[in-house]
Amino acid sequence: MADPPIFESPVVRSYETAGSGDLMLTDISATTKWLVRASGSVGAVAARLGAPFGSSSAAAGGALVLGSRPGEWIVLGTADAVAEAVEGLEAVDGADFVSALDWTHGRALFRITGRSAPRMLEKVCSLDWSDPMTPDGAVASASVAKVTCDIARNDAGGTPSYLVFCDRSLGQYLFDALIDAGDEFGLVVGPAGG
Amino acid sequence: MTMSRLEVQPTEVIDRSTTLRFRWNGKRFSGFEGDTIASALAAAGEHVFSRSMKYHRPRGILTADYWDPNLLVQVGDDPNVRAGHRLLEAGMDVGAQNVWPSLHRDIKAANGLVSRFLTAGFYYKTFMRPQRLWPAYERVLATFAPGGKVDPDTPHRYHDKRYSHPDVVVAGAGPAGIEAALAAAAAGARVMLVEHEHAVGGHLRYAHPEPARAALAELRAALAASDVEVLTDSTVTGRYEDNWLGIVQRSHPVAVERLIKARAKVLVVAPGLIERPYVFAGNDRPGVITSVAARRLINLWGVKPGERAVVFTANADGDAAAADLERAGVEVAAVVDGRDGRRVSAAQGPPKALEAVVAGGTRTEADLLVVAAGWTAPTSLLNMAGDRPVYDPAAARFFPSDPPGNVLATGGLAGDGRLDELRAHGAATGRLAAQRAAAVAHRYQARTARALAVTGDEPAWAADERAPLRRDRHPELYRSDTHGMVDLSEDVGSKDLVAAAREGYDSVELAKRYTTATMGSAQGKLETVNTVAAIAEARGETIAQVGTTVWRPPYAPLTLGALAGRMFEPVRVSSIHPWHEANGVRTIQAGQWIRPDHYGDPAAEVRNVRTNVGIIDVTPLGKLDLRGPDIPKLLNLLYTNKWSKLAVGKVRYGMMCAEDGVVLDDGVTGRLGPEHYLMTTTSSGAAGVWEWVENWLQTERPDWRVHVTPVTTAYASINVAGPKSRELVSRVVDGVDLSPEAFAYMEVRTATVAGVAGCFMWRIGFTGELSFELHVPAGHGLHVWEALMEAGADLGVGPFGLEGQRIMRLEKGHFIVGQDTDGLTLAPSTGMSPLIKLDKEDFAGLPELAWAADRQLPLIVAIQPDDPEIVPEEAAQIVRGDTNEILGRITSARMSPTLGRAVCLGQVEPELAAGGTKLTVLLASGQRIGATVMDHHAHFDPAGERLRG
Repeated sequence: MADPPIFESPVVRSYETAGSGDLMLTDISATTKWLVRASGSVGAVAARLGAPFGSSSAAAGGALVLGSRPGEWIVLGTADAVAEAVEGLEAVDGADFVSALDWTHGRALFRITGRSAPRMLEKVCSLDWSDPMTPDGAVASASVAKVTCDIARNDAGGTPSYLVFCDRSLGQYLFDALIDAGDEFGLVVGPAGG
Repeated sequence: MTMSRLEVQPTEVIDRSTTLRFRWNGKRFSGFEGDTIASALAAAGEHVFSRSMKYHRPRGILTADYWDPNLLVQVGDDPNVRAGHRLLEAGMDVGAQNVWPSLHRDIKAANGLVSRFLTAGFYYKTFMRPQRLWPAYERVLATFAPGGKVDPDTPHRYHDKRYSHPDVVVAGAGPAGIEAALAAAAAGARVMLVEHEHAVGGHLRYAHPEPARAALAELRAALAASDVEVLTDSTVTGRYEDNWLGIVQRSHPVAVERLIKARAKVLVVAPGLIERPYVFAGNDRPGVITSVAARRLINLWGVKPGERAVVFTANADGDAAAADLERAGVEVAAVVDGRDGRRVSAAQGPPKALEAVVAGGTRTEADLLVVAAGWTAPTSLLNMAGDRPVYDPAAARFFPSDPPGNVLATGGLAGDGRLDELRAHGAATGRLAAQRAAAVAHRYQARTARALAVTGDEPAWAADERAPLRRDRHPELYRSDTHGMVDLSEDVGSKDLVAAAREGYDSVELAKRYTTATMGSAQGKLETVNTVAAIAEARGETIAQVGTTVWRPPYAPLTLGALAGRMFEPVRVSSIHPWHEANGVRTIQAGQWIRPDHYGDPAAEVRNVRTNVGIIDVTPLGKLDLRGPDIPKLLNLLYTNKWSKLAVGKVRYGMMCAEDGVVLDDGVTGRLGPEHYLMTTTSSGAAGVWEWVENWLQTERPDWRVHVTPVTTAYASINVAGPKSRELVSRVVDGVDLSPEAFAYMEVRTATVAGVAGCFMWRIGFTGELSFELHVPAGHGLHVWEALMEAGADLGVGPFGLEGQRIMRLEKGHFIVGQDTDGLTLAPSTGMSPLIKLDKEDFAGLPELAWAADRQLPLIVAIQPDDPEIVPEEAAQIVRGDTNEILGRITSARMSPTLGRAVCLGQVEPELAAGGTKLTVLLASGQRIGATVMDHHAHFDPAGERLRG
């Protein structure tokens, strides 16, 4: 029998990595991610998760909740934090119909951090990245380098930082496209994490 | 015309300490950093730069800028480079275009000898008949095609793209444009200032007087201290709905060109004015230049444009040119003042030079004629915004009429005035733009979920309270008492336009297309007004009555590379792809997916599956996770068969139809739990089926409680096929009884595979063999694949690719939607009529299929060529005997390694569908072969004993 499995990232090519940089791209696809959907009376689930469409919030256990679409949320973080955030959601009172599924293996996830991150993203995505239109905590869905992505602004210590999700099978392509876009801004690849 | 380099000029932009060496038509030349190609050549004494398009007349500098129709050259692999604009670089290899054998001895100039026969419409009239000779005409005419040479092997360079959302975009960085940008930025707006030239400043750059130079320095300093994003050597090429702007940035540190797609809340149009040529005999002769060209050559690049000049001036800029010429040491032999009603009638001399100018009957010897006859208002961006500029005969140019509120004009486009008046108008325009942009920004924020919450009501739309600029009087100078060139890009003369009007092409839009006037490299910037004037004169009407052509994007020609931008071509790979690459895979691209086609010998892969066991990566197989209590209703609606009684742990095949009864997709769906199903689709249909399902749920059945989530790439999918597949799977699966009794064909189990929990395992396959399809969390797909390869080494396990699978499915007679069906194939044609339950209450396509139930439709059948060695081409026609009457077609064909013969599927007319029917197949070679319809779809194991084993 083979060894116990470890999570294999969609980003399989080798890159020279750096621990820090003014603009950093990091593969964090291993992060636990769940998709929660509610239809009908969604108020109870919305109250529990606390992230209206287009915004994000931190759950009590530390998970990050993204209001990705009306009646739809992405919950991410450590496995324990996510489990705590989604536990019992399908039985929340008042919700007409709720489903939650583990999306960890279905979505590649990258983080882009740096002052020039908005300028870099302008090269691959048509969203308006200005602070009024995409403030810290904003969540959107858009094409990034012709790949449909969920995007969340999640600043790190006052520095603009963005989470970008896409279909896992497109992960390697998108990672390379982001490196190319960031090249003129001195982008470095950070060590993969989760 | 003798040109040479002057002493240092206070306004020059060249760095005389940096010499750049380059080649021009094979000869060595040098220039300075900051020179354009044209200024460097002019300084070296060159005065002929090109040959005209049709008559191959020698052409020299006319405007000395981007618009100069005479300065298109080849630079290395780049054709049609604008030598009046492109900065000189060391090592450039520059050459004249479309001349033979050389620029100075161009045989094609013989066209000029028959110019009276090459009038407008010559090609249309001459080469229409006889039609059979057109290929010959085409070959000859192609040798006369203008422009440079494109080398198809030129490597693709880095063209970039960027999106931007500035509050205000200012198109044009003359004094008014700069002031507009500064004022808007000072009011808090995010501003992008776009300048066509290599530096900001507009006409101040080549204005010699000290006050102008001081103003330019002041504006540049203010700009440098501001937050305005300044793009030089860039052009706003188009304005589209809602101020969507295309901006091409030619000079960029990392890209050859960058196309910026900007959504501006307010656009300020400040391109200044473009000096237009004057039409008279010999006006295209080398030595005839515009007044702006003279001033640019002298003041920007320190080039003395001639030795003895005549200046034809009708405005202050012409007067300034005369002053600049004298200061540069050029003898101004005569000044012909157009404001006094005087005109230039002819420029005379040998073809390549100017010797004399005739004005008012007086002949003056000169090698330079400087013309200041008036201005074209480049209203293009206003036209694109829906404005219809109005001609003012007193000022002899067009002015904006009523552009939309989010498009504002300033600078010379809006009127005339002293420098301080133009600057003040620009600043007022910038403030107005910022105010209006704030209102638009408030609206955008208020309606965007992710944006910061807005406070208060939307600001009121600011009224336009700018003091209008005055309009200086200017004589209407378009054509003299002689005829000359109107469009130097296209070699269209005023005679051509008069002739076109006489022939009935009296609408400016028709005349434009008939003569091609305004359709050349200057895109009407130099010739539109003269074209209109010529037509007006021919018709005896005013310019206002004739009107103008509609200026459409692009404002300035741009490269296809700029339009293409970066090459974004997403590709998908499975998590097992690294293994495939490391093991000799030959891939095939299927949609976005890069898939294993085979590993060297697909026939051997087939034999291994039939005798041992093989594994195939089928990750692209579409997968939809279905949750909710109303899933059976959904499945009953989507599929033609019945789903209400599918038990947990069971799998069922289904066929989907569009509402016209045409087969849309097929696949299997398994019930994983009471309210949890997994639907599979074809690989190519994954996205479309998801959209189809969501469309039904969101628009037709929003009350149904079903959530559909695409999980195609969340799972790595591996099909284990072959007589030893059960043995192999048993070695890696924990906790599932794999015996045929406990886990039968068309059942599903949740399993732990190679230590990976949460896998789904189906007893299905596409090869006709005993098969287990594993759906593994994708992050462990490679691990499970490698575990299977390792565990099955002694069983002879090997990978197989799409080609092997396609062969085996054909041997088994499984049809593929889109391959064996097409956009007209109704469900009964597949031979799956038992699965079409017309007694269901409803399903997509039911009415059409109920209608079709009584009809005789084409049918998919298995076909075997009588000669087992001949594999017909897919799409080969099935015909009646020796005729070409089409009775069907081959849809799939392969040589079967298992049967040792060709096997096919095809669609045939219903009367030919019975087993044993003899067919005639017409091959692409013209050969006709015999073939026979089989009793079953399956060529191999028709009873299905192997897959149920």
